[in-house]
Amino acid sequence: MSCDDVRPRLTAYLDGDLDAERGSVVRGHLRTCDACRQVATDEAALRDELRLLPAVDPPPSMWAGIQARLGEEEVAHARRPAWRRALARWAPSAPRFAAGGLVAATAIAVLWWRSHRGPEAPAPATPEPAPIAANPPNKVTGPTQVEVGGDVSVDVTVDLAGEAARVTAHYGDEAEELLARAGEARALWTGEQKDAFDAHVVELRGAITAAAEGRPRQRAWRELIRYLRGAAVRDEVALAGGGQ
Amino acid sequence: MRRALLIVCALTAAAAADTPASAPAPKLERTPVTPAPGMIERARLEIQPGGRAIKQLAIENPLGNVKVEGYDGTSIMIETRKQAPDEEGLERLRVSLVPNPDGTVRITTTADGGKEFKNVSRANMRIDLIIRAPRDARIEAAVSAGSLEVINMDAGGDLDTASGPISVRNVSGGVSTHSVSGATSLTQVFGSVDAQTISSNVDLDTIGGERLIASASRGKIAGRRVRARHIELTTTDGAISLEGESTLRGRIVVASLRGDVDVRLRRQGAVTIRARGTKVNLGSATPFAKTQQDGWVESQLGQIGKTAPAFVELRSRYGTVQFAIIE
Repeated sequence: MSCDDVRPRLTAYLDGDLDAERGSVVRGHLRTCDACRQVATDEAALRDELRLLPAVDPPPSMWAGIQARLGEEEVAHARRPAWRRALARWAPSAPRFAAGGLVAATAIAVLWWRSHRGPEAPAPATPEPAPIAANPPNKVTGPTQVEVGGDVSVDVTVDLAGEAARVTAHYGDEAEELLARAGEARALWTGEQKDAFDAHVVELRGAITAAAEGRPRQRAWRELIRYLRGAAVRDEVALAGGGQ
Repeated sequence: MRRALLIVCALTAAAAADTPASAPAPKLERTPVTPAPGMIERARLEIQPGGRAIKQLAIENPLGNVKVEGYDGTSIMIETRKQAPDEEGLERLRVSLVPNPDGTVRITTTADGGKEFKNVSRANMRIDLIIRAPRDARIEAAVSAGSLEVINMDAGGDLDTASGPISVRNVSGGVSTHSVSGATSLTQVFGSVDAQTISSNVDLDTIGGERLIASASRGKIAGRRVRARHIELTTTDGAISLEGESTLRGRIVVASLRGDVDVRLRRQGAVTIRARGTKVNLGSATPFAKTQQDGWVESQLGQIGKTAPAFVELRSRYGTVQFAIIE
Protein backbone atom coordinates (compact mmCIF):
# COMPACT_ATOMS: atom_id res chain seq x y z
CA MET A 1 0.00 0.00 0.00
CA SER A 2 1.40 3.41 -0.98
CA CYS A 3 1.36 6.70 0.92
CA ASP A 4 -1.49 7.90 -1.31
CA ASP A 5 -3.57 4.92 -0.22
CA VAL A 6 -2.73 5.30 3.46
CA ARG A 7 -3.22 9.04 4.01
CA PRO A 8 -6.96 9.16 3.27
CA ARG A 9 -7.38 6.37 5.84
CA LEU A 10 -5.34 7.93 8.64
CA THR A 11 -8.30 9.67 10.26
CA ALA A 12 -10.33 6.49 10.38
CA TYR A 13 -7.26 4.63 11.65
CA LEU A 14 -6.73 7.07 14.51
CA ASP A 15 -10.43 6.82 15.33
CA GLY A 16 -10.13 3.02 15.44
CA ASP A 17 -12.76 2.80 12.71
CA LEU A 18 -10.80 0.64 10.25
CA ASP A 19 -11.46 -3.06 10.23
CA ALA A 20 -8.69 -5.33 11.47
CA GLU A 21 -7.11 -6.01 8.10
CA ARG A 22 -7.04 -2.41 6.89
CA GLY A 23 -5.87 -1.25 10.31
CA SER A 24 -3.04 -3.74 10.19
CA VAL A 25 -1.99 -2.58 6.72
CA VAL A 26 -1.98 1.08 7.78
CA ARG A 27 -0.06 0.23 10.94
CA GLY A 28 2.48 -1.72 8.95
CA HIS A 29 2.93 1.19 6.56
CA LEU A 30 3.37 3.66 9.43
CA ARG A 31 6.11 1.51 10.87
CA THR A 32 8.19 1.91 7.74
CA CYS A 33 7.19 5.33 6.37
CA ASP A 34 8.55 8.34 8.29
CA ALA A 35 6.51 10.83 6.28
CA CYS A 36 3.16 9.18 6.94
CA ARG A 37 4.06 8.62 10.57
CA GLN A 38 4.76 12.34 10.89
CA VAL A 39 1.39 13.13 9.29
CA ALA A 40 -0.33 10.77 11.77
CA THR A 41 1.52 12.36 14.70
CA ASP A 42 0.57 15.85 13.51
CA GLU A 43 -3.05 14.87 13.16
CA ALA A 44 -3.10 13.41 16.67
CA ALA A 45 -1.54 16.63 18.01
CA LEU A 46 -4.10 18.70 16.10
CA ARG A 47 -6.89 16.72 17.69
CA ASP A 48 -5.48 17.45 21.13
CA GLU A 49 -5.41 21.14 20.28
CA LEU A 50 -8.98 21.04 19.03
CA ARG A 51 -10.13 19.45 22.25
CA LEU A 52 -8.75 22.44 24.10
CA LEU A 53 -10.94 24.90 22.22
CA PRO A 54 -13.83 26.25 24.27
CA ALA A 55 -17.13 24.48 23.76
CA VAL A 56 -19.67 26.36 21.65
CA ASP A 57 -23.13 26.44 23.17
CA PRO A 58 -25.98 26.04 20.68
CA PRO A 59 -28.37 29.01 20.49
CA PRO A 60 -31.38 28.81 22.83
CA SER A 61 -33.71 28.81 19.80
CA MET A 62 -32.29 25.47 18.68
CA TRP A 63 -33.00 23.78 22.01
CA ALA A 64 -36.50 25.30 22.06
CA GLY A 65 -37.14 23.82 18.60
CA ILE A 66 -35.99 20.37 19.71
CA GLN A 67 -38.20 20.52 22.78
CA ALA A 68 -41.18 21.58 20.66
CA ARG A 69 -40.70 18.63 18.32
CA LEU A 70 -40.33 16.21 21.22
CA GLY A 71 -43.54 17.58 22.67
CA GLU A 72 -45.39 17.07 19.36
CA GLU A 73 -44.11 13.51 19.19
CA GLU A 74 -45.30 12.78 22.73
CA VAL A 75 -48.75 14.17 21.96
CA ALA A 76 -49.01 12.04 18.81
CA HIS A 77 -47.84 8.97 20.77
CA ALA A 78 -50.46 9.54 23.49
CA ARG A 79 -53.23 9.77 20.86
CA ARG A 80 -52.41 6.39 19.36
CA PRO A 81 -54.63 3.45 20.39
CA ALA A 82 -53.27 1.28 23.22
CA TRP A 83 -52.83 -1.79 20.96
CA ARG A 84 -50.58 0.19 18.60
CA ARG A 85 -48.44 1.45 21.47
CA ALA A 86 -48.07 -2.12 22.75
CA LEU A 87 -47.15 -3.36 19.26
CA ALA A 88 -44.57 -0.63 18.91
CA ARG A 89 -43.01 -1.74 22.18
CA TRP A 90 -42.73 -5.38 21.08
CA ALA A 91 -41.92 -5.01 17.41
CA PRO A 92 -38.29 -3.89 17.76
CA SER A 93 -37.57 -6.94 19.95
CA ALA A 94 -38.97 -9.47 17.50
CA PRO A 95 -35.73 -10.09 15.56
CA ARG A 96 -33.88 -10.61 18.82
CA PHE A 97 -36.41 -13.19 20.00
CA ALA A 98 -36.09 -14.98 16.67
CA ALA A 99 -32.29 -14.98 16.86
CA GLY A 100 -32.40 -16.16 20.48
CA GLY A 101 -34.70 -19.02 19.53
CA LEU A 102 -32.39 -20.04 16.72
CA VAL A 103 -29.36 -20.05 19.04
CA ALA A 104 -31.25 -22.07 21.66
CA ALA A 105 -32.37 -24.62 19.06
CA THR A 106 -28.82 -24.97 17.74
CA ALA A 107 -27.47 -25.45 21.27
CA ILE A 108 -30.04 -28.16 22.02
CA ALA A 109 -29.20 -29.92 18.74
CA VAL A 110 -25.47 -29.85 19.51
CA LEU A 111 -26.03 -31.19 23.04
CA TRP A 112 -28.26 -33.98 21.72
CA TRP A 113 -25.69 -34.92 19.09
CA ARG A 114 -22.86 -34.98 21.63
CA SER A 115 -24.80 -37.15 24.08
CA HIS A 116 -25.80 -39.62 21.32
CA ARG A 117 -22.42 -39.97 19.56
CA GLY A 118 -21.88 -43.43 21.03
CA PRO A 119 -18.84 -45.07 22.57
CA GLU A 120 -16.88 -45.38 19.32
CA ALA A 121 -15.73 -41.75 19.51
CA PRO A 122 -11.92 -41.97 19.92
CA ALA A 123 -10.54 -40.66 23.18
CA PRO A 124 -7.71 -38.15 22.76
CA ALA A 125 -4.27 -39.61 23.38
CA THR A 126 -3.13 -36.55 25.34
CA PRO A 127 -5.32 -34.28 27.40
CA GLU A 128 -6.54 -31.49 25.16
CA PRO A 129 -6.42 -27.93 26.40
CA ALA A 130 -9.83 -27.42 27.84
CA PRO A 131 -12.12 -24.65 26.74
CA ILE A 132 -13.04 -21.83 29.04
CA ALA A 133 -15.63 -19.13 28.93
CA ALA A 134 -14.55 -16.01 27.14
CA ASN A 135 -14.51 -13.00 29.40
CA PRO A 136 -17.14 -10.33 28.97
CA PRO A 137 -15.84 -6.91 27.96
CA ASN A 138 -14.14 -5.17 30.83
CA LYS A 139 -16.26 -2.16 31.60
CA VAL A 140 -16.36 0.17 34.54
CA THR A 141 -19.59 1.86 35.35
CA GLY A 142 -19.62 5.44 36.41
CA PRO A 143 -19.74 8.89 34.96
CA THR A 144 -16.43 8.45 33.13
CA GLN A 145 -15.94 5.09 31.52
CA VAL A 146 -12.86 3.77 29.89
CA GLU A 147 -14.23 0.90 27.91
CA VAL A 148 -11.88 -1.88 26.98
CA GLY A 149 -12.75 -4.60 24.51
CA GLY A 150 -16.28 -3.34 24.19
CA ASP A 151 -16.27 -3.50 20.39
CA VAL A 152 -15.87 -7.17 19.52
CA SER A 153 -15.36 -6.40 15.84
CA VAL A 154 -12.07 -4.62 16.57
CA ASP A 155 -8.94 -6.73 16.76
CA VAL A 156 -6.99 -6.67 20.00
CA THR A 157 -3.96 -5.01 18.37
CA VAL A 158 -6.05 -2.18 16.95
CA ASP A 159 -7.72 -1.73 20.32
CA LEU A 160 -4.38 -1.61 22.09
CA ALA A 161 -2.98 0.85 19.55
CA GLY A 162 -5.81 3.28 20.20
CA GLU A 163 -5.84 2.99 23.97
CA ALA A 164 -3.38 5.76 24.81
CA ALA A 165 -5.35 8.21 22.68
CA ARG A 166 -8.63 7.16 24.34
CA VAL A 167 -7.27 7.64 27.86
CA THR A 168 -5.70 10.95 26.86
CA ALA A 169 -9.07 12.05 25.49
CA HIS A 170 -10.68 11.31 28.88
CA TYR A 171 -8.10 13.53 30.56
CA GLY A 172 -8.75 16.22 27.94
CA ASP A 173 -12.50 16.10 28.56
CA GLU A 174 -11.97 16.32 32.29
CA ALA A 175 -9.67 19.31 31.91
CA GLU A 176 -12.30 21.08 29.82
CA GLU A 177 -14.95 20.48 32.45
CA LEU A 178 -12.70 21.71 35.23
CA LEU A 179 -11.77 24.74 33.18
CA ALA A 180 -15.45 25.63 32.97
CA ARG A 181 -15.80 25.19 36.73
CA ALA A 182 -12.72 27.29 37.38
CA GLY A 183 -14.44 29.90 35.23
CA GLU A 184 -17.32 29.95 37.73
CA ALA A 185 -14.85 30.64 40.54
CA ARG A 186 -13.12 33.27 38.43
CA ALA A 187 -15.61 35.92 39.47
CA LEU A 188 -14.08 35.85 42.95
CA TRP A 189 -10.55 36.43 41.76
CA THR A 190 -8.62 39.65 41.48
CA GLY A 191 -7.21 40.75 38.13
CA GLU A 192 -3.76 39.65 39.27
CA GLN A 193 -5.06 36.20 40.17
CA LYS A 194 -6.78 35.88 36.81
CA ASP A 195 -3.55 36.77 35.01
CA ALA A 196 -1.59 34.27 37.12
CA PHE A 197 -4.17 31.58 36.42
CA ASP A 198 -4.18 32.20 32.67
CA ALA A 199 -0.40 32.23 32.51
CA HIS A 200 -0.14 28.96 34.43
CA VAL A 201 -2.76 27.26 32.24
CA VAL A 202 -0.89 28.35 29.11
CA GLU A 203 2.32 26.98 30.59
CA LEU A 204 0.74 23.63 31.46
CA ARG A 205 -0.86 23.38 28.03
CA GLY A 206 2.50 24.02 26.47
CA ALA A 207 3.87 21.12 28.49
CA ILE A 208 1.06 18.90 27.16
CA THR A 209 1.85 19.81 23.56
CA ALA A 210 5.54 19.23 24.13
CA ALA A 211 5.06 15.85 25.83
CA ALA A 212 5.36 12.69 23.81
CA GLU A 213 2.19 10.80 22.94
CA GLY A 214 1.11 8.19 25.49
CA ARG A 215 1.95 8.20 29.19
CA PRO A 216 4.13 11.36 29.16
CA ARG A 217 1.25 13.32 27.63
CA GLN A 218 -1.22 11.79 30.09
CA ARG A 219 1.09 12.85 32.91
CA ALA A 220 1.10 16.41 31.55
CA TRP A 221 -2.71 16.40 31.34
CA ARG A 222 -2.90 15.22 34.95
CA GLU A 223 -0.80 18.20 36.03
CA LEU A 224 -3.25 20.55 34.31
CA ILE A 225 -6.19 18.70 35.88
CA ARG A 226 -4.61 18.96 39.31
CA TYR A 227 -4.14 22.70 38.92
CA LEU A 228 -7.63 23.29 37.53
CA ARG A 229 -9.24 21.19 40.23
CA GLY A 230 -7.44 23.23 42.85
CA ALA A 231 -8.49 26.45 41.18
CA ALA A 232 -12.12 25.38 40.85
CA VAL A 233 -12.39 24.15 44.42
CA ARG A 234 -10.06 26.29 46.42
CA ASP A 235 -10.09 29.50 44.38
CA GLU A 236 -7.84 32.07 46.00
CA VAL A 237 -5.86 29.58 48.10
CA ALA A 238 -5.04 27.48 45.07
CA LEU A 239 -4.02 30.49 43.08
CA ALA A 240 -1.81 31.84 45.79
CA GLY A 241 -0.03 28.52 46.04
CA GLY A 242 0.21 27.85 42.32
CA GLY A 243 -2.42 25.15 42.54
CA GLN A 244 -0.77 23.13 45.26
CA MET B 1 1.26 -28.52 18.07
CA ARG B 2 2.79 -27.84 21.46
CA ARG B 3 4.58 -24.60 21.77
CA ALA B 4 8.11 -24.67 22.95
CA LEU B 5 8.26 -21.24 24.50
CA LEU B 6 5.60 -19.10 26.05
CA ILE B 7 7.52 -16.23 27.48
CA VAL B 8 9.80 -14.25 25.26
CA CYS B 9 12.82 -13.04 27.11
CA ALA B 10 13.87 -10.05 25.08
CA LEU B 11 17.34 -9.55 26.41
CA THR B 12 18.98 -6.51 24.95
CA ALA B 13 22.52 -6.58 23.70
CA ALA B 14 23.51 -4.18 26.43
CA ALA B 15 21.94 -6.34 29.04
CA ALA B 16 23.73 -9.34 27.64
CA ALA B 17 27.03 -7.53 28.01
CA ASP B 18 26.37 -6.59 31.62
CA THR B 19 23.72 -8.98 32.73
CA PRO B 20 22.06 -8.11 36.02
CA ALA B 21 19.66 -10.99 35.85
CA SER B 22 19.27 -14.34 34.26
CA ALA B 23 16.02 -15.84 33.02
CA PRO B 24 15.86 -19.61 32.57
CA ALA B 25 13.19 -21.32 30.48
CA PRO B 26 9.76 -21.01 32.08
CA LYS B 27 7.92 -23.94 33.63
CA LEU B 28 4.75 -24.57 31.66
CA GLU B 29 1.44 -25.90 32.75
CA ARG B 30 -1.86 -26.30 30.98
CA THR B 31 -4.93 -26.65 33.09
CA PRO B 32 -8.19 -27.91 31.62
CA VAL B 33 -11.09 -25.70 32.53
CA THR B 34 -14.70 -26.18 31.57
CA PRO B 35 -16.95 -25.18 29.90
CA ALA B 36 -17.19 -23.08 26.67
CA PRO B 37 -14.69 -22.15 23.96
CA GLY B 38 -11.23 -20.86 24.78
CA MET B 39 -7.87 -21.84 26.20
CA ILE B 40 -5.80 -21.01 29.23
CA GLU B 41 -2.08 -21.38 29.55
CA ARG B 42 0.03 -20.89 32.66
CA ALA B 43 3.75 -20.42 32.95
CA ARG B 44 6.22 -19.76 35.75
CA LEU B 45 9.55 -18.07 35.48
CA GLU B 46 12.22 -17.10 37.99
CA ILE B 47 14.72 -14.36 37.29
CA GLN B 48 17.89 -14.46 39.35
CA PRO B 49 19.78 -11.22 39.80
CA GLY B 50 23.14 -11.11 38.07
CA GLY B 51 25.91 -8.96 39.43
CA ARG B 52 23.49 -6.25 40.50
CA ALA B 53 20.44 -6.42 42.74
CA ILE B 54 17.03 -5.82 41.19
CA LYS B 55 16.10 -2.27 42.19
CA GLN B 56 13.05 -1.53 40.13
CA LEU B 57 10.28 -3.33 38.33
CA ALA B 58 8.60 -1.54 35.43
CA ILE B 59 5.47 -3.43 34.47
CA GLU B 60 3.07 -2.63 31.68
CA ASN B 61 0.15 -4.99 31.14
CA PRO B 62 -2.76 -3.57 29.17
CA LEU B 63 -4.27 -7.05 28.81
CA GLY B 64 -5.19 -8.03 32.35
CA ASN B 65 -4.39 -7.95 36.06
CA VAL B 66 -1.10 -7.38 37.80
CA LYS B 67 -0.35 -8.43 41.35
CA VAL B 68 3.04 -7.69 42.87
CA GLU B 69 3.94 -9.12 46.23
CA GLY B 70 7.18 -8.42 48.05
CA TYR B 71 9.17 -11.10 49.82
CA ASP B 72 12.54 -11.50 51.53
CA GLY B 73 14.40 -12.81 48.52
CA THR B 74 16.51 -11.51 45.69
CA SER B 75 14.98 -13.07 42.59
CA ILE B 76 11.76 -12.27 40.76
CA MET B 77 9.17 -15.00 40.28
CA ILE B 78 6.59 -14.40 37.60
CA GLU B 79 3.48 -16.42 37.08
CA THR B 80 1.64 -15.70 33.86
CA ARG B 81 -1.84 -16.78 32.94
CA LYS B 82 -2.80 -16.32 29.32
CA GLN B 83 -6.26 -16.73 27.94
CA ALA B 84 -7.38 -16.75 24.33
CA PRO B 85 -10.15 -18.31 22.25
CA ASP B 86 -7.81 -20.81 20.60
CA GLU B 87 -4.21 -21.93 20.07
CA GLU B 88 -3.54 -19.22 17.53
CA GLY B 89 -4.77 -16.59 19.96
CA LEU B 90 -2.43 -17.90 22.65
CA GLU B 91 0.44 -17.71 20.16
CA ARG B 92 -0.25 -14.02 19.73
CA LEU B 93 -0.01 -13.17 23.43
CA ARG B 94 3.47 -12.14 24.48
CA VAL B 95 5.21 -11.38 27.76
CA SER B 96 8.56 -9.67 27.38
CA LEU B 97 11.22 -9.39 30.06
CA VAL B 98 14.03 -6.91 29.65
CA PRO B 99 16.56 -6.80 32.48
CA ASN B 100 18.57 -3.59 32.25
CA PRO B 101 22.07 -3.10 33.57
CA ASP B 102 20.88 -0.40 35.99
CA GLY B 103 18.95 -2.97 38.01
CA THR B 104 15.56 -2.33 36.39
CA VAL B 105 13.56 -5.25 35.09
CA ARG B 106 10.95 -4.29 32.52
CA ILE B 107 7.97 -6.61 32.02
CA THR B 108 5.57 -5.81 29.21
CA THR B 109 2.73 -7.68 27.58
CA THR B 110 1.31 -7.34 24.12
CA ALA B 111 -0.57 -9.17 21.40
CA ASP B 112 0.97 -9.76 18.00
CA GLY B 113 -0.96 -8.46 15.04
CA GLY B 114 -0.89 -8.84 11.32
CA LYS B 115 -2.82 -10.01 8.31
CA GLU B 116 -1.96 -13.62 9.00
CA PHE B 117 -4.05 -13.61 12.17
CA LYS B 118 -7.80 -13.70 12.32
CA ASN B 119 -9.67 -10.94 14.13
CA VAL B 120 -9.91 -11.49 17.90
CA SER B 121 -11.44 -8.91 20.18
CA ARG B 122 -9.59 -7.69 23.22
CA ALA B 123 -12.31 -9.00 25.50
CA ASN B 124 -11.26 -12.53 24.53
CA MET B 125 -7.54 -12.07 25.01
CA ARG B 126 -6.06 -11.82 28.45
CA ILE B 127 -2.79 -11.98 30.34
CA ASP B 128 -2.68 -11.90 34.14
CA LEU B 129 0.61 -11.53 35.98
CA ILE B 130 1.42 -12.52 39.54
CA ILE B 131 4.89 -11.35 40.50
CA ARG B 132 6.89 -11.99 43.63
CA ALA B 133 9.65 -9.44 43.91
CA PRO B 134 12.35 -8.42 46.40
CA ARG B 135 10.79 -6.09 48.96
CA ASP B 136 13.23 -3.27 48.30
CA ALA B 137 12.41 -2.99 44.60
CA ARG B 138 10.42 0.04 43.51
CA ILE B 139 7.34 -0.74 41.44
CA GLU B 140 6.23 1.20 38.39
CA ALA B 141 3.19 -0.47 36.97
CA ALA B 142 0.51 0.39 34.45
CA VAL B 143 -2.58 -1.61 33.56
CA SER B 144 -5.70 -0.75 31.66
CA ALA B 145 -8.97 -2.33 32.79
CA GLY B 146 -7.37 -5.01 34.92
CA SER B 147 -6.71 -4.71 38.62
CA LEU B 148 -3.38 -3.54 39.96
CA GLU B 149 -2.38 -4.80 43.38
CA VAL B 150 0.85 -4.13 45.26
CA ILE B 151 1.51 -5.76 48.62
CA ASN B 152 4.37 -5.86 51.12
CA MET B 153 6.88 -3.63 49.35
CA ASP B 154 9.43 -1.26 50.90
CA ALA B 155 10.37 1.19 48.16
CA GLY B 156 7.02 2.59 47.08
CA GLY B 157 5.90 2.93 43.52
CA ASP B 158 4.06 4.67 40.76
CA LEU B 159 0.82 2.99 39.72
CA ASP B 160 -1.40 3.84 36.80
CA THR B 161 -4.68 2.40 35.51
CA ALA B 162 -7.38 3.50 33.12
CA SER B 163 -10.45 1.83 34.63
CA GLY B 164 -8.94 -0.96 36.71
CA PRO B 165 -8.93 -0.77 40.51
CA ILE B 166 -5.70 -0.02 42.36
CA SER B 167 -4.99 -1.68 45.67
CA VAL B 168 -1.90 -0.98 47.77
CA ARG B 169 -1.35 -2.70 51.10
CA ASN B 170 1.53 -2.69 53.56
CA VAL B 171 3.89 -0.60 51.49
CA SER B 172 6.65 1.76 52.61
CA GLY B 173 8.08 4.56 50.53
CA GLY B 174 6.40 7.13 48.38
CA VAL B 175 3.39 5.90 46.47
CA SER B 176 1.66 7.75 43.67
CA THR B 177 -1.43 6.40 41.94
CA HIS B 178 -3.40 7.70 38.98
CA SER B 179 -6.59 6.36 37.52
CA VAL B 180 -9.35 7.60 35.27
CA SER B 181 -12.13 5.50 36.77
CA GLY B 182 -10.54 2.76 38.84
CA ALA B 183 -11.30 2.66 42.56
CA THR B 184 -8.15 3.37 44.56
CA SER B 185 -7.49 1.76 47.91
CA LEU B 186 -4.38 2.39 49.98
CA THR B 187 -3.97 0.58 53.28
CA GLN B 188 -0.97 0.67 55.59
CA VAL B 189 1.15 2.94 53.49
CA PHE B 190 4.11 4.46 55.30
CA GLY B 191 5.43 7.16 53.04
CA SER B 192 4.17 10.11 51.09
CA VAL B 193 1.04 9.41 49.06
CA ASP B 194 -0.28 11.11 45.96
CA ALA B 195 -3.55 9.55 44.72
CA GLN B 196 -5.38 11.11 41.80
CA THR B 197 -8.54 9.87 40.07
CA ILE B 198 -11.24 11.36 37.89
CA SER B 199 -14.38 9.39 38.61
CA SER B 200 -13.75 6.84 41.31
CA ASN B 201 -13.44 6.68 45.05
CA VAL B 202 -10.22 6.91 47.01
CA ASP B 203 -10.06 4.89 50.18
CA LEU B 204 -7.21 5.56 52.62
CA ASP B 205 -6.61 3.51 55.74
CA THR B 206 -3.62 3.73 58.06
CA ILE B 207 -1.49 6.21 56.21
CA GLY B 208 1.64 7.64 57.78
CA GLY B 209 4.02 9.82 55.85
CA GLU B 210 5.23 13.33 55.29
CA ARG B 211 2.63 14.24 52.66
CA LEU B 212 -0.77 12.90 51.72
CA ILE B 213 -2.35 14.37 48.63
CA ALA B 214 -5.52 12.86 47.18
CA SER B 215 -7.90 14.29 44.66
CA ALA B 216 -10.94 13.12 42.71
CA SER B 217 -13.55 14.77 40.56
CA ARG B 218 -16.59 12.53 40.74
CA GLY B 219 -15.61 10.28 43.59
CA LYS B 220 -15.46 10.23 47.37
CA ILE B 221 -12.35 10.35 49.46
CA ALA B 222 -12.43 8.52 52.77
CA GLY B 223 -9.45 8.49 55.13
CA ARG B 224 -9.10 6.63 58.40
CA ARG B 225 -6.15 6.48 60.77
CA VAL B 226 -4.29 9.09 58.78
CA ARG B 227 -1.21 10.85 60.11
CA ALA B 228 0.78 13.13 57.86
CA ARG B 229 2.33 16.54 58.30
CA HIS B 230 0.84 17.86 55.09
CA ILE B 231 -2.60 16.61 54.09
CA GLU B 232 -4.48 17.88 51.08
CA LEU B 233 -7.73 16.22 50.03
CA THR B 234 -9.70 17.72 47.16
CA THR B 235 -12.86 16.71 45.28
CA THR B 236 -15.17 18.54 42.97
CA ASP B 237 -18.34 16.44 43.44
CA GLY B 238 -17.60 13.77 46.01
CA ALA B 239 -17.82 13.89 49.79
CA ILE B 240 -14.66 13.81 51.87
CA SER B 241 -14.35 12.19 55.27
CA LEU B 242 -11.15 12.16 57.25
CA GLU B 243 -10.31 10.66 60.60
CA GLY B 244 -6.76 11.24 61.63
CA GLU B 245 -4.28 13.07 63.73
CA SER B 246 -3.02 16.62 63.61
CA THR B 247 0.72 16.97 63.86
CA LEU B 248 2.77 19.82 65.25
CA ARG B 249 3.22 22.50 62.60
CA GLY B 250 1.15 20.36 60.28
CA ARG B 251 -1.15 21.63 57.54
CA ILE B 252 -4.43 19.97 56.65
CA VAL B 253 -6.53 21.26 53.77
CA VAL B 254 -9.77 19.44 52.95
CA ALA B 255 -11.72 21.06 50.17
CA SER B 256 -14.64 20.20 47.94
CA LEU B 257 -16.72 22.11 45.48
CA ARG B 258 -20.03 20.26 45.92
CA GLY B 259 -19.30 17.47 48.37
CA ASP B 260 -19.75 17.50 52.13
CA VAL B 261 -16.64 17.65 54.30
CA ASP B 262 -16.40 15.73 57.56
CA VAL B 263 -13.15 15.82 59.53
CA ARG B 264 -12.41 14.29 62.91
CA LEU B 265 -8.97 14.79 64.41
CA ARG B 266 -6.95 13.68 67.37
CA ARG B 267 -5.17 16.80 68.46
CA GLN B 268 -1.49 17.13 69.25
CA GLY B 269 -0.64 20.64 70.38
CA ALA B 270 -2.47 23.74 69.28
CA VAL B 271 -4.64 23.78 66.19
CA THR B 272 -5.92 26.73 64.18
CA ILE B 273 -9.07 25.97 62.22
CA ARG B 274 -10.81 27.92 59.51
CA ALA B 275 -13.83 26.56 57.72
CA ARG B 276 -16.34 27.71 55.15
CA GLY B 277 -19.37 25.92 53.73
CA THR B 278 -23.12 26.22 53.24
CA LYS B 279 -23.35 25.06 56.85
CA VAL B 280 -20.39 24.87 59.21
CA ASN B 281 -20.30 22.87 62.43
CA LEU B 282 -17.03 22.95 64.31
CA GLY B 283 -18.37 20.88 67.19
CA SER B 284 -18.46 21.45 70.90
CA ALA B 285 -14.68 21.42 71.18
CA THR B 286 -14.48 24.82 69.53
CA PRO B 287 -17.01 26.96 71.42
CA PHE B 288 -15.25 30.23 70.60
CA ALA B 289 -15.49 30.00 66.85
CA LYS B 290 -15.91 33.37 65.17
CA THR B 291 -17.57 33.97 61.84
CA GLN B 292 -15.71 36.50 59.72
CA GLN B 293 -17.33 38.86 57.25
CA ASP B 294 -16.08 36.85 54.29
CA GLY B 295 -17.94 33.77 55.55
CA TRP B 296 -14.98 31.95 57.07
CA VAL B 297 -15.50 30.49 60.54
CA GLU B 298 -12.29 30.53 62.55
CA SER B 299 -11.28 28.98 65.81
CA GLN B 300 -8.31 27.85 67.81
CA LEU B 301 -7.74 24.90 70.07
CA GLY B 302 -5.03 24.73 72.69
CA GLN B 303 -2.44 27.26 73.76
CA ILE B 304 -0.01 28.48 71.14
CA GLY B 305 3.44 28.13 72.63
CA LYS B 306 6.84 28.21 71.04
CA THR B 307 5.89 25.84 68.24
CA ALA B 308 3.53 26.99 65.53
CA PRO B 309 0.06 25.45 65.68
CA ALA B 310 -1.21 22.96 63.18
CA PHE B 311 -3.34 24.64 60.52
CA VAL B 312 -6.61 23.09 59.41
CA GLU B 313 -8.63 24.49 56.53
CA LEU B 314 -11.96 22.96 55.59
CA ARG B 315 -14.14 24.22 52.79
CA SER B 316 -16.99 23.28 50.56
CA ARG B 317 -18.61 25.85 48.33
CA TYR B 318 -21.93 24.02 47.94
CA GLY B 319 -21.72 21.41 50.71
CA THR B 320 -21.62 21.27 54.49
CA VAL B 321 -18.52 21.29 56.66
CA GLN B 322 -18.27 19.38 59.90
CA PHE B 323 -15.37 19.15 62.29
CA ALA B 324 -14.83 17.36 65.57
CA ILE B 325 -12.00 16.62 67.93
CA ILE B 326 -11.57 12.99 68.96
CA GLU B 327 -10.77 12.87 72.65
